[in-house]
Amino acid sequence: MNRIQILLQRAAKAPLYRKKFAHLKPGTVRDLRSFSAKVPPTRLEELAAETPKSAGPLSPRLCAGRGPRAIFQLEYDTQPALYVALDRADLRGYVEVLKHCWSLAGLRKGDRVAIFDYGTSPLSYLAASSFTPYLDRGAADLLGCLPVCNDGVANMSPRAVEILRYVRPRVFFIRHDCLHALAVEIERQALRLADYTQALVAAENESLLSDAERSSFEKRLGVPIYRLLRIDAAMFLAMECPRCRMLHTRRDSYFVETLPEEDDAAESPLVVTNWFAGNSPTVRYLSQVRGSLKPSGCPRGPKDLRIAV
Amino acid sequence: MKNGARRVAPDAMDRWPEERLAKFHLHKIRQLLRHVYRQLPFYRQRLARAKVDPEQVKTLGDLARIPTFSKQDVLQEIRRQGRFDFGLETIARRDPAVLCMTSGTLGSSFLYLPRKWRALRGDSLLRAYWWAGLRPGMRMLMAVPAWHSLAVQESRVIERLGVSTVVPWGTFLPRNAGNFIDAISDATPDFVSIFLPMLFAILAECRRRGAKPATVFKSVQSILAVGAPMTPRSRQQLVHELGVGDIFEGLGNPEGLTAMECASHCGHHIFVDCCFVEIIDPKSGAPLPVGQRGNVVITTLIPHGSIFLRYDTEDLGVILPGACACGRSWPRMEVYDRRANEVEIAGQRIVPYDVRICLDELPELVNLPFAVVRGETKMERLTLLMQKPASGNLEEIQARIANLLRKKPNVEAIQEWAEELPQRWKGVTVIEEKDWRRARV
Repeated sequence: MNRIQILLQRAAKAPLYRKKFAHLKPGTVRDLRSFSAKVPPTRLEELAAETPKSAGPLSPRLCAGRGPRAIFQLEYDTQPALYVALDRADLRGYVEVLKHCWSLAGLRKGDRVAIFDYGTSPLSYLAASSFTPYLDRGAADLLGCLPVCNDGVANMSPRAVEILRYVRPRVFFIRHDCLHALAVEIERQALRLADYTQALVAAENESLLSDAERSSFEKRLGVPIYRLLRIDAAMFLAMECPRCRMLHTRRDSYFVETLPEEDDAAESPLVVTNWFAGNSPTVRYLSQVRGSLKPSGCPRGPKDLRIAV
Repeated sequence: MKNGARRVAPDAMDRWPEERLAKFHLHKIRQLLRHVYRQLPFYRQRLARAKVDPEQVKTLGDLARIPTFSKQDVLQEIRRQGRFDFGLETIARRDPAVLCMTSGTLGSSFLYLPRKWRALRGDSLLRAYWWAGLRPGMRMLMAVPAWHSLAVQESRVIERLGVSTVVPWGTFLPRNAGNFIDAISDATPDFVSIFLPMLFAILAECRRRGAKPATVFKSVQSILAVGAPMTPRSRQQLVHELGVGDIFEGLGNPEGLTAMECASHCGHHIFVDCCFVEIIDPKSGAPLPVGQRGNVVITTLIPHGSIFLRYDTEDLGVILPGACACGRSWPRMEVYDRRANEVEIAGQRIVPYDVRICLDELPELVNLPFAVVRGETKMERLTLLMQKPASGNLEEIQARIANLLRKKPNVEAIQEWAEELPQRWKGVTVIEEKDWRRARV
């Protein structure tokens, strides 16, 4: 049985997919081509709309019958709220992706890394096994880094500056909506940011800092700013490569497609299938992010999936 | 008890006789002293300055010869050295670690917390959650403020007990109260671990949504609340309003203190397996006897990560006299407030908690916000600012409060009413008179 069939079999245990894929005849999906052609994408609105109808209010795509789990409410404005459930194996798969992002950002053994985001963001909770139950090893544990987090609230910027001053992280991850407040605080304290960190990485759920915003902040702060894309409903992470400036992610973790649209635009919505999520399977999740797929081959990650946005 | 539960159930250390606990403490502290003297420059210098040889500490009383230090000393050292690790951390490169931070009420400092620290503190904390009713197989709501050391310990408790956990999006801010309500309603946890002011924010959000708190919390058997002191009446009212089995108050600080209520709700048992607590006179520094209020000084007993040896938390607390009805031998304490929130009225030193106890005597005022206004000069009378209750005769209420305050803490009071005061949040119950006047102009 190939990974597509394993995924579909697993997904059939979840109320949403059982209903959604009822029309699929056994054997019709054999490879990625038929997978894309036959399996309909799933939208965020669908996840929200199906939630009240499913047996448990937690998630219509939650598979029953697995061990203790960590259930995370997601950062979406839907009503009802959305969740993903992760057990040890899911967390292991997810953390491999974050580790890959960190490596791409240049983090190595002995480095310090700061995360200015909520503890409920995967950037924080996957950082260290100490933060999250059932996470055997976090990205910091795998790479040998020392992580420090700050709550992702803009008015915690003074404390973020304390982290910069006294921890001097090689890379500083930051929520997009805290960037302005941090810049103001750095200017207020007349700090030269480049003396304290080598790069900022701005992250957001299902959105990215625009090029114009990025260059404006880079001018203001005097350090390079890279972007990290979160698609939390799909447990997806992709990091902007400092070399090719495209988003990289692990080919072993996801199948990414674009959904062609009628207007033939250069960029189309990204559709994500997650190979590691066992408790909350993600099959062809139609994200709100537009991009185009590029061939592999960047020296910083020769086998990586690459996305231009 | 099922096998799984038996494997993780806390041991009988909380029933050890006093003498055995004292022997345990002396042994741990002497070990720690030798370790910090050999390994940690911050303490080596302090001990040398105080001319204390670790080998001379032969009784727990001898510990008082070691000078205390406070948050200000920590912040000063961080600034002077320009680094988070200024010499009170045991850093073992092979043991993965995280850095956590203090909340910043007095300025933020850093805590270096390796896995060994997490294992010891987390396993100790498991006892608190067990007392509060958390058992293997349950589901628990937790917030993961990854910057705070409680998240590090709590994640260990969850793993050890094998409970599932649900995490609401965001952080402990009133604007996230809706997320907490959704997560509790959707995931139906048996147990909730929460920051007490957030519980008040949830109640306010329930009122705004027209939801009955007891309906939201219908799956919840017990709550463990931390972060602010709760009076007995406040707890009773919350239990009633939320319809939960019980609410347990935990107290502690990131530097090393854990203390937890048992089902008797008569003070907080100090978790003496990881921490040694003294109460000292803030002026002379001399240890105070049981039953007297003073500054809480802690010594962590874990030799990993950041080590705090006679750290003056600048919290105002007391070790309670007598034995607890539960039969456990671990001493009990109360922490009332930060020393900085103390006010002096006609020679009496009081904290907002003393006022809260009086206000809670009146059912109309239980859990309603109030503030103590601190004068710029010597105060002969207490000035109280209170939110108007939804019902009741204000003049009558005022007279009853005045009487209660006259009895205990024995002060005269001037009371003013406000239509609405901000939701109780961390440390906002004392306001300075000059700020108050400015706000009224």
